[in-house]
Amino acid sequence: MADPTKPRASFAPWDRRELPGSFSVEETARRVGNYKWAETKLFEVLGGWIATVPELDIKLRLGTHCYKHAWHAELWHKRLPELREMNPARLTLPANDALVRFVDAMTEPEDPSLTIEKLVGVYRVYIPHFISAYTYHLNNTSEITDMPTIRSLKFILQDEFEDWRDGEMLIQSLLETPDHVDRAAAHQAKLEKLMLEAGGIAGHGSIGINTQAPQGAMS
Amino acid sequence: MTLTVTPDTYNFVAFDTAYTTRIAERMATQLGLDDIDILIAVNENSSLTRIDIDVTASLITIAPHSGAMEDTRRPRQQSELNTTITMARGMLRARDRLRGGFADAPADTELSLPQAAVWDTYILGRIAHMDIQVNKQAWVYNFRNRHGFSDAVDAVFEKVWNTANTTWAELNALSANTLSVTA
Amino acid sequence: MKKFMPVEELARDERFNQITQADRMADGRNALIADSEKSRRSNRLTPARADASEAARALMHGIFVGEIQALEGAGRTCWDFTTGEEAPFELKLDMARQAWDEARHVEISLKLSDWMGSEIGQYAENTVLFQAACSNDPVLRLAGVNRALEGLAIDVFTTMKEFGELAGDPYLEFCEDWMLADEVTHVKMGSDWLRKITENDPERRKKALEFQGIVDKMFSYGGSRSDSEESSFAIARRFRELAGFTEDENDHIADLGMQALNERKAQLREKQAAASN
Repeated sequence: MADPTKPRASFAPWDRRELPGSFSVEETARRVGNYKWAETKLFEVLGGWIATVPELDIKLRLGTHCYKHAWHAELWHKRLPELREMNPARLTLPANDALVRFVDAMTEPEDPSLTIEKLVGVYRVYIPHFISAYTYHLNNTSEITDMPTIRSLKFILQDEFEDWRDGEMLIQSLLETPDHVDRAAAHQAKLEKLMLEAGGIAGHGSIGINTQAPQGAMS
Repeated sequence: MTLTVTPDTYNFVAFDTAYTTRIAERMATQLGLDDIDILIAVNENSSLTRIDIDVTASLITIAPHSGAMEDTRRPRQQSELNTTITMARGMLRARDRLRGGFADAPADTELSLPQAAVWDTYILGRIAHMDIQVNKQAWVYNFRNRHGFSDAVDAVFEKVWNTANTTWAELNALSANTLSVTA
Repeated sequence: MKKFMPVEELARDERFNQITQADRMADGRNALIADSEKSRRSNRLTPARADASEAARALMHGIFVGEIQALEGAGRTCWDFTTGEEAPFELKLDMARQAWDEARHVEISLKLSDWMGSEIGQYAENTVLFQAACSNDPVLRLAGVNRALEGLAIDVFTTMKEFGELAGDPYLEFCEDWMLADEVTHVKMGSDWLRKITENDPERRKKALEFQGIVDKMFSYGGSRSDSEESSFAIARRFRELAGFTEDENDHIADLGMQALNERKAQLREKQAAASN
């Protein structure tokens, strides 16, 4: 009969989680506040665009995605007090002014004829940057101390990948002429340059590479 | 043969009497009813889609409520397709009674809902086979509502829809048998 | 993208034709069974009506376009107000959730429309629902949409659910019941937020409830919803209570409905008498 008092290893042989992580509590809270701000801006614009888009299938898809990103924002909102930020609004901030300029440019298209631009901004620029920032965070935070953030990141990343695919397929279905392709490429390039200035969803260092030019660098 | 359409002018809808007359005359010829007087009396006071029919040996009276001829996308405007279908429905029902083996069918107001549905299916099926655009699924749904939702009912619908010639006795029996199977 | 989009700018593909409530009210025709002994027959939307299939089809299309506008309205509320200052973050989360629910309702309505044999854009689209969602005060939007309009949706879906049950339609009853569950949630959202936001602002609450009354009356137009058998829809008192409406509120809706029915009948009699002179 097995002896229940016999000591067992505290971590099973298949549990290879490491203790160290790259982010302090404060740094995690800062990033999470940035994520919440960015997801909030996303769900707001997806909701606003529904009435401006004439394509019925796209209208419906935007409604579904609006909720998903709102839920992501809610998960981040709930995480902040657990990271010693009792006033979540205080840290719900854009990473920097350049990201605000990016969001302004991304949310600018309004006319019913601009569905390509609306979708490209979100699904070829914004969401891919969420995926990269979240993936970097997931792979670099402590697997033991920061398990709640990891759990949220995993759920959120599942949505982001699915939404990315949905959006990309919708974009492909809209591109019927070379002019459409040019429009998509031009808008993507314009927004990518703004995102480059911002450094990513959580600013410079969003994916562990600091894209900000150092002081005094030669151009 | 005289074909008359009333009223001459309308207060509540933007229908055109001359336009309706042309459509009705064309349909009467196509259905072999150019040897009997026909009166089309549009009831513009009602927006329902009903078509009231009265038949004697010398006169066919078709009284569509304005909803039957209306463009449902543009309320109160006349629809060519719906006007054509309405004329066809009214004339086919009248012809069935006068010459089509339906002399023993109950008066319109006495038809049960399943009886009305099976007769409508027979009429609309013939209209569809005249290459007039008919929404078949709408009539499938109507038939199902009156006889039940099953594969057996759908099979009876297809049979009636594709029937070119039948009598009241045969049609009524089909409907009654379908109902007894579903019950 | 601007805030506060006017109803004229609602984006649609070429299949849709939009009309206003004013267009509808200008119709001098009667949708009731003709004024005679027959008018005592029930006008309730049940399979027993001779035009039941056509009436159900037309109603399903009305539900379909209503859900599109509800989706658009919920989405605009996410965009139009600054988070925190003009609308609480949690209210926006609820609106985003409502947008998802309404998108599903559009999908359900599309499938049911295929089932019943109607086509997208087959009937004119009345934009009055989105108009009720255009207020520049989020509390008024909740009062107009989540309480008044979703309350109407509870009545309409209950009627359709019962229609499906009586007809033996395997999909209609099932789908309407699922949508009904969501609508009860939406009304509760409206009730809860109205109460929370106006807790210390009785004037704003009064305005919101007045606006709700206006929308209720607008949607009672023609008396299509009342306790009378002459109306197509009954007031679904049980589901309304689940959603948080009080007995007084339900009685008030019933009174509005009867008033509207009698006004419409009088109006039609006048129009038709004038036309025959």
